[in-house]
Amino acid sequence: MVPMENYLILSGILFSLGVYGVLARRNAVLVLMSVELMLNAVSLNFVAFSAYLDPDKATGIIFAVFVIAVAAAEVGLALAIVIRLFRNRSTANVDEAATMRW
Amino acid sequence: MAEHAWILAAVPGIAFIVMAAFGRNLPRQGDWLAVLCATAIFALFFAVLANFLNLGGDSWPIQNSIEWTAIGDFELNMGIAVDPITMVMLAVITTVALMVNIFSVGYMKGEPRYWWYFAVLQLFVASMLMLVLADNLLLLYVAWELVGLSSFLLIGHYWERRSAVEAAKKAFITTRVGDVGLLIGIILFWEATGTFNILEITEHVKNGAIGDTRLFVTMMFILLGAMGKSAQLPFHVWLPDAMEGPTPVSALIHAATMVVAGVYLVARMLPVFELAGDALTVVMVVGLLTALFSGVVAFAQTDIKKVLAYSTVSQLGFMFVALGAGYASAGMFHLFTHAFFKALLFLGAGAVIIGTHHHQEMGQLGGLWRKMPITAATFLIGSLALAGLFPLAGFWSKDEILHAVEGQGTWAFFLLSIAAIMTAFYTARLFIRTFLGKPRDEEVASHTSEVSPVMTLPLVFLAFMSIVAGFFIFHDFGSALGFPGGFSEFVFLHYPSAFHVDWGLVGLSTVLFVVGTFGGAWLYWNGRLDRSTVLAEWQPKVYEMVQRKFYFDDLYQFLIDRVVLGFSYLVSWFDRFAVNDTGVDGSATMTGYTGFVLKHLQTGKVPNYAMAIAVGVVALTLISLAVGS
Repeated sequence: MVPMENYLILSGILFSLGVYGVLARRNAVLVLMSVELMLNAVSLNFVAFSAYLDPDKATGIIFAVFVIAVAAAEVGLALAIVIRLFRNRSTANVDEAATMRW
Repeated sequence: MAEHAWILAAVPGIAFIVMAAFGRNLPRQGDWLAVLCATAIFALFFAVLANFLNLGGDSWPIQNSIEWTAIGDFELNMGIAVDPITMVMLAVITTVALMVNIFSVGYMKGEPRYWWYFAVLQLFVASMLMLVLADNLLLLYVAWELVGLSSFLLIGHYWERRSAVEAAKKAFITTRVGDVGLLIGIILFWEATGTFNILEITEHVKNGAIGDTRLFVTMMFILLGAMGKSAQLPFHVWLPDAMEGPTPVSALIHAATMVVAGVYLVARMLPVFELAGDALTVVMVVGLLTALFSGVVAFAQTDIKKVLAYSTVSQLGFMFVALGAGYASAGMFHLFTHAFFKALLFLGAGAVIIGTHHHQEMGQLGGLWRKMPITAATFLIGSLALAGLFPLAGFWSKDEILHAVEGQGTWAFFLLSIAAIMTAFYTARLFIRTFLGKPRDEEVASHTSEVSPVMTLPLVFLAFMSIVAGFFIFHDFGSALGFPGGFSEFVFLHYPSAFHVDWGLVGLSTVLFVVGTFGGAWLYWNGRLDRSTVLAEWQPKVYEMVQRKFYFDDLYQFLIDRVVLGFSYLVSWFDRFAVNDTGVDGSATMTGYTGFVLKHLQTGKVPNYAMAIAVGVVALTLISLAVGS
């Protein structure tokens, strides 16, 4: 059986990739996708812990399901915002959407 | 009836509410209502008195109280207690109030705020009656403040005049200093005994509920309140200034009733004072100093009302001396007789003011007896009673006080005799310079005429009382009227000391009267001023000191200007710079500046925020790892 650490290392790599994507990408859609990556890393953590540490109950799995549901709703909302942004400014670059400041 | 004596206070209380609300719209602005109310309580007083005497000494004091509120185990009861001291006060208040109300109809005719004057007069009478009827110190304190309030309102009746406003403020603030002492005393009593009821407090103290030192301190605080209200040294400064009020007010409040509240309080608490170490000696010393001091100051006053004011302060000193000697009866008796003749003198002064069209400086008066015979005759009776001519009212009460201090050492007796001579002296000066001799100001004299009957009738009645009030002291006279014995037995049932005429003392008093009166007559007879001028120029510094009232007002003014205002300047500086500029404005400026600097962090670029979050998370993780290991 694959040891639990492998899953955690995979989850860590995924999360770091997501953080990198969020910080490095300028396209709003790509930033969103990176966020999804981070969420999935977290879900993977939940499932791994659930399966290895407390296999009788499905607590972690239920959390993962919730995360997926919330992520789906969030993506729906975020994509709608990105579309409005693109319609207004003909760009999806997050650096250029900087009017909300002092 | 006696257990429902609270009605006496309720009637003028209701009259005040009615007159304050509708007085302006009533016919004649409601003065008839005031006189009606005063007559009603005068009649009710006799009903109470008759019932009180019928019930007899075994049932005294007659008490009637209701539970006002209860907090846990503590019950606060409010009610009345009627004993002979209360009856004496009721007699004085109802009689003088009736006379003053009638007199005011004439005196205040055509004056501004006529209706309001009468309304506040009723408020005063209601509060004063409440004060003397109260069975507990808390209710007494409420009434104590209410009489102070009515006094304030009436002194400042002519508030268009700046001096009246100043005098009203001065009276209120000066007595307030004493009132704070009274309140502290009441709280100390409550803390030690758990009750406000005067009789219960007396019982507790007799059983040793309060330690000696503590009791002495408590009584000093109570005395402070009494001294403030009764204008004893060094709180006397407000009373002469209070003469700014309408003259009938001076007669009622500043001669007969409110100023004797302090005497009443000490007489009421006398059983406690007796147990409080040297407290009574303090009372006596205060009284002696006041009697002598204001007797001297009265020499140099030229305003007839000011002379009477200082005379009142001096006579209040006499009462304190009697109380200090432990003779409540002598003090209360002087209070009783003094109320009549001093009210008479003040109303007489009011009649002079009206008769001469507002002249009250002795330098402009003189020879008034031809123009105002009734006023002059009644004023003469009042003066003689004040000076202590046998057998007028003032003679008997002053004799009682001299008798009371006989046992207190010769120095007190000697000083009080001096004060008695001074009384006769300044009274003679006042009467001679105002009514005898030739008019000094022809223009004033040509306008002078006798006042209307509505004003002379109270004078005549009070003159009658000034003659007979002294006879209440006699056993036979007292029992003929239904009183058990004379005044001393009636007022101080528990320490009966039957009155008997001490002819040696009578002789001495007469000598004092003659010396004082003839001294005054020798200096001022027939309008001459040369002898007194010589006297004044013989020692100009002494004369100036007396005329400036021993610099008391200057001293207080100095204290207020330098010490109080200096301190308040310091406080206002602290408030301005430390509290306002640094504390309030400072924190606001700081917040604004911080915002001004930190707003640059808000770039509007989402990746910057994300970076900040990421850096923050990493930093927190590293810190927690470092701390954890």
